[in-house]
Amino acid sequence: MSNRGATRYHVPMTMPSAAEPPFDPGWLDTLAGACRGLTASTPRLQDVYLERRLELRMYALAGSSHAEESRSEGAAARWRYPSRTAFHARTGTSQPALEDLLSRHGRRTELPRVRPAAPGELEPPPGWHDWARQTLSRVRRGHCTVRFLARRAAVVGPDRWAAVSCPELVRVAADGESPSALLAVWQHPELESWLSELLAPPPARRWRPDPGLKVPVLLRSGTAGVLLHELIGHLAESDLVSSGDSPLAALSGAAVTAVALDIVDDPGRGDLPGAFSCDDEGVAASELPLVRAGRLVGWLCDCAGSRRLGAPDGRGRRASWARPPVPRLSNLIVAPGTTEADDIQRELREGLLVTRLGGAMVDPLSGRIVLRVERGWELRQGRRRRALEPFELTGGALDVLAHVEPAVGSDPRPDWRLGWCVKDGVPLPTGSEAPTLLVHHLEVL
Amino acid sequence: MSAPAESRHQERLRSAAATARDVLARSGPCRWEVFTKASVTREVEVAPGSAPRELQVEEMGVAVRTARGGRAGFAAASGLEADAARRAIAGALAVEQELPFDPLPPPHLLAAADTGPIRGLPPRGWAHHVGEQLEKSVAAISGGRLHLRRCLFQEGTFSWLMQTGEGFVAAFDGAACSLLTEVQPAKGRGGVWREWHHVADPAGLDPAAAARRIADRALLVQGRLATGSGLVNLILAPEVAARLLTALSPLLVVCRDRRDPLPKLLDSTGRLASDELTLLDDRLDPEAPIAGPCDGEGLPAARTLLVERGIPRHRLASYRDALAFGEIPHGGALRLSYRDYPSTGIANLRVSTEHGSPPAELLRDAGAALYLLRPLAPVLADLAAGSYRIVASGVWLDNGRVRGWHPVVELRGSLTRLLGRIEAVGTDLAWFQADRGAVGAPSLLISSQPVMGQ
Repeated sequence: MSNRGATRYHVPMTMPSAAEPPFDPGWLDTLAGACRGLTASTPRLQDVYLERRLELRMYALAGSSHAEESRSEGAAARWRYPSRTAFHARTGTSQPALEDLLSRHGRRTELPRVRPAAPGELEPPPGWHDWARQTLSRVRRGHCTVRFLARRAAVVGPDRWAAVSCPELVRVAADGESPSALLAVWQHPELESWLSELLAPPPARRWRPDPGLKVPVLLRSGTAGVLLHELIGHLAESDLVSSGDSPLAALSGAAVTAVALDIVDDPGRGDLPGAFSCDDEGVAASELPLVRAGRLVGWLCDCAGSRRLGAPDGRGRRASWARPPVPRLSNLIVAPGTTEADDIQRELREGLLVTRLGGAMVDPLSGRIVLRVERGWELRQGRRRRALEPFELTGGALDVLAHVEPAVGSDPRPDWRLGWCVKDGVPLPTGSEAPTLLVHHLEVL
Repeated sequence: MSAPAESRHQERLRSAAATARDVLARSGPCRWEVFTKASVTREVEVAPGSAPRELQVEEMGVAVRTARGGRAGFAAASGLEADAARRAIAGALAVEQELPFDPLPPPHLLAAADTGPIRGLPPRGWAHHVGEQLEKSVAAISGGRLHLRRCLFQEGTFSWLMQTGEGFVAAFDGAACSLLTEVQPAKGRGGVWREWHHVADPAGLDPAAAARRIADRALLVQGRLATGSGLVNLILAPEVAARLLTALSPLLVVCRDRRDPLPKLLDSTGRLASDELTLLDDRLDPEAPIAGPCDGEGLPAARTLLVERGIPRHRLASYRDALAFGEIPHGGALRLSYRDYPSTGIANLRVSTEHGSPPAELLRDAGAALYLLRPLAPVLADLAAGSYRIVASGVWLDNGRVRGWHPVVELRGSLTRLLGRIEAVGTDLAWFQADRGAVGAPSLLISSQPVMGQ
């Protein structure tokens, strides 16, 4: 079978690992050619996904460090029947493995007898083990696990394929009395300062506001990105929108914030954990406006969602080769305003200052959001008074959006705490960056 | 009913383990353990008005633990080919780190318990049939007030083989099946009721009974609203009780922190809870979700008594953690996938219902009580501070009769007071998924707890 005609999807950006293709390009061309023959009849092949992963873990044990390595590779094929869809996945990306996978729909499939060049092993970056050991030595109390995560993938369709590149990530999770975690791009210039912040013990004396209290909340240090990840990022996902479960479903084009916020989802931000060169359905990464001047203008769609909603695709993401793609955001970016964050704080007579969120969730059906505050302060006349102990804030999604103060901070900051986002039990790395925002009403739970 | 078809994997598992053994034999003096696993998982989602969605995943791999010269390593690689075994061994040797003790259990501790008959899987088409029956039953039981939103069937077969350098070999072929059902009111934006159900025997699953269980709870909250506060008797429905046990589970496993919270939670007689509460990690129960002849590192499967009539007896620990933190190894290692190191964890944590009461009796005996039906957030237990918080939806009862629905109620207070006032356990034990492992909980009747209405 000729594979000369195969074309690559356009990949508009460079990721740390984009220079090296994830699999033998000649083999991917061959596979793309073979896929053509499987799309003409029923069931119809939608795409084939191939992936390799490396995970390294290190944690302290009995006074020394313990290291583990896990390498995984697998492939998945999606099929469309007249009355159902099917997803098959299996371990391995070799020719026999792919032949077996493609034969699952009922017809024996034989691939051309081409011996693909072995791809280079995914290896930990130089210095990772030393860095992980050093990180563990900084943990004073409790248990800490340091992880390195790398992934390379390719999406193959009839006559075309695309390489999926994404940044190498580190995840540090500390448990014990003050559990917390960090997710960041490996070698991010701010990684060390975030790590220091993560490992710093909480203030000794802390105060908890009374449940039921409705209070202005100033979200600093990038925590507004987490709020909008929940309110816009999740509620704009095409599966929730097309089922009518999202409270945003009927608000396309409507003003959802009183302030003229601009929010985009940008997988091209290689410094944030949700970055990718193309999504896991092979659509080249591009910035997607979600809110423009306070108006809802976009949905986060995978290919199926795109067909249903008539909106651009490019947000089909897979948790691993063993899971089908689902519509999810990449990096939520909130454009900065022009007001100094300190000025917004100074103007606040009474309220709460949040500097770190330890959890956030939105329930689409009730439309309520819950934010778990991990670090923050009580504010009086713009000044910090008592440190906050962990507690939760809640509010109605649309109500919270409607009560964002028009003065937006000029200090965009990435959030390093909550990038590991779980939806329906499926975790994915995401990122966010936002300036300081003031929400007039949130309720202490 | 068909027997698990994937036992055909055992031959490939043996072959991968043999390759690993040969490679390890050439790597010099070394204690080692090879674990190979293959699994096939099938999911079918049936949602009225939508095309059914099917997912089938076949996963296999090799994991290797090594210990030599005061160093230990672990690595895993996907696949069962010779290359996978070689990569796993190379990885384990490459990441070896110093460890002051040998983390691999000595041969005399390793054995395989009898696992009973192999579970069966339902025939193809079962999911669609049960989905249709559930849809009809939910509509009929609720008089059209509820409808089935979706149901998700998960079924899987798995085979594993464990082999050590000293010649211990254990192998297992198993199957598991579960059903997630979601219903919601036919009108309005009322909440979705979700129920996860471990199906020990697919042939015995009664869709009408499953529909009644979830519809009854969903219908209870369709009445008028009621609130209340103060010290009240509580009944925790099994799902809420399971969340509470999940939050308490760190007390039941080896403590890695220098400050162990358990002693501070015990009264002067060493009691953690009332004598109604007995907790076990039951790896021998044929009805429980996690089965196998041995734990994650080859110690025989056992029924470990964790809390006996309110008094802590044992804490679970893997062999390595037992050595590191001074516990006695009872076979407390859990291996969720071949990729994971066999670490300390509960497998099937359950409440003993030997002296339990039928749930109807609990409801009647509770008098004026709050019946918590649906958790709205994870139950939080601050073990260091000895406090808990439950946010749930429930109904107020007067001697078993429903007075009204309380949409969001928060309970916060002393953990020792909560556990010390468990008056009775039900017989309606149901299994739920925890972060790792499974929790089996019945209804719990707890007296005089502080309730803050919202």
